[in-house]
Amino acid sequence: MKPGRRSLTLAQQYVNLRGNPVSAGSGNLRRGHLTWRHEASPSPLSRVYGVRIEVDQQLSPDVFVETPDLSVLAGGRKLPHVYQQRPPRLCLFLPGTSEFRPWMRIDQTIMPWTVLWLFYFEEWLGSDEWKGGGVHPGESEDRRRGRREAVPDGDPYSRGALA
Amino acid sequence: MNYMDHRDLLRQSHLAALIESVCQSLEISPSQNQLARQRYEGVGDWLARADDPLLVTIAIRLQGSVAIGTTVKPIGTNEHDVDLVAHLRDVEVAVSPASLKKSIGDRLRSSGSYAGLLEEMPRCWRLNYANEFHLDITPSIPNPACRMGGELVPDKSLRIWRASNPQGYRAKFDRRAALAPRIRRSIGKAFDSARADADIEPYPENPGLKGILRRVVQIAKRHRDVHFIDEDVALAPLSIIITTLASRAYEYCVTNFEYDDELELVCDIFRRMPDMMQVDVVNGRQVWHLWNQTTEGENFCEKWNNDPRRAVAFHSWHAKALLDLETLAAAEGLDQMRRLLGSIFGTAPATKAIDALTERMNRARSGNLLSVGRAAGLIVGTAARSTPVRANTFFGADC
Repeated sequence: MKPGRRSLTLAQQYVNLRGNPVSAGSGNLRRGHLTWRHEASPSPLSRVYGVRIEVDQQLSPDVFVETPDLSVLAGGRKLPHVYQQRPPRLCLFLPGTSEFRPWMRIDQTIMPWTVLWLFYFEEWLGSDEWKGGGVHPGESEDRRRGRREAVPDGDPYSRGALA
Repeated sequence: MNYMDHRDLLRQSHLAALIESVCQSLEISPSQNQLARQRYEGVGDWLARADDPLLVTIAIRLQGSVAIGTTVKPIGTNEHDVDLVAHLRDVEVAVSPASLKKSIGDRLRSSGSYAGLLEEMPRCWRLNYANEFHLDITPSIPNPACRMGGELVPDKSLRIWRASNPQGYRAKFDRRAALAPRIRRSIGKAFDSARADADIEPYPENPGLKGILRRVVQIAKRHRDVHFIDEDVALAPLSIIITTLASRAYEYCVTNFEYDDELELVCDIFRRMPDMMQVDVVNGRQVWHLWNQTTEGENFCEKWNNDPRRAVAFHSWHAKALLDLETLAAAEGLDQMRRLLGSIFGTAPATKAIDALTERMNRARSGNLLSVGRAAGLIVGTAARSTPVRANTFFGADC
């Protein structure tokens, strides 16, 4: 973490998610855990998806698509770019890089990336090809985009994301 | 306007824009159109300079789908049909269709430029411009018996003349196409109210259909071409039948009703197309009539009365086309758009249209131009109360 940057508290994340019209929804904040539910749709021609964001302080946010059932839509195909299939938990950023840091607002990072993921998901449903790019664990660094910074040891976000 | 109404309006305009982009990709391009015009004007000059006294007054005019702006690329070829009438205003009925057709053919064959392109068809001459289009040239003469200024064109046998009126048909079609529909939720109105709310979310670059009647005809003709790939193509309804039914249904719909949006109108036109025909029962047999309203005695459905399978084929095609359109109008999901556009227009144009959407998104993402709005989803550029999409890399353990 860069010096001078303080992580946002879950309360701050909660207030920001509630205040952003794009992530309008409902949630609760209890005992160091934030749950936020909102609707997301990547285009006017798309479905409206029910999304749930779960955050523990100091851990990477988990994003689940609750409705509709993505596995049913996929018709038995394995979902791309998820940490788990059921319920689908989305892989939205490269852990341990500057893409997401605890001082960043979830409503300005994780939330728009969720919408982007849903766009490429619907694309994939129709074309069987993931056109949103990305990397898989174990892929060599040179296949990643050159501007990524190295993963520092002991970064809580990389542990959280890979848990 | 609340969020769901706004989203619904955006949905209608995006879907109309998607259909519009597919129709544009299937019609003759402006440059091809221009080239065709140069070519047929050249043919007209060559014919008019003939020594043959029959051809002295010849004038070449467009007819058919190029004339009325309803072309669709034929499946399996890049060549559009460009239908032309070679009208001879001083030639009388006493001249047989066969001899007039022969005069035109002889003149074309005498040209070094045209001889190699020339192909004889039952009622016309065809000039094949490979990979561009072909020009079909049908002779016509005035019809003194027609009070509507109609013409006579060769019968398939070339022995007799039959009534037609390409110019009159075109004028009537253009007049109908110019009738303005009443659309309650037009993009313009919504945009004004959105501006008042300072809640502008972008509409597609080309919202809406350019000329609803022309697009309906193109959708119907293309759906027919796709549908009859697996059926007996000889039974497919003629373009003139589809065009006539659509233009009458369009006039009926826009003069009698008001619609929420363009797609609702498109579906209603489709729904009412069969009502525009007349069917009588004579001696227990169905007799179909779809009269050319611009001349007397031309029944576009004539062949149905010799082969009732054509009527059956029309109705099963029409039911499928209506169902496919209504399903598309109600569908959600880019995957469903791709699938349903494919069932209407064929897989290749549908894939091209969705791929263009994806590429536009990818370009905007690489240029850091994407943002997210509540009703519109991903937006290229920004809008009031939208959130920019920062750079990210999709990761994945279970991929």
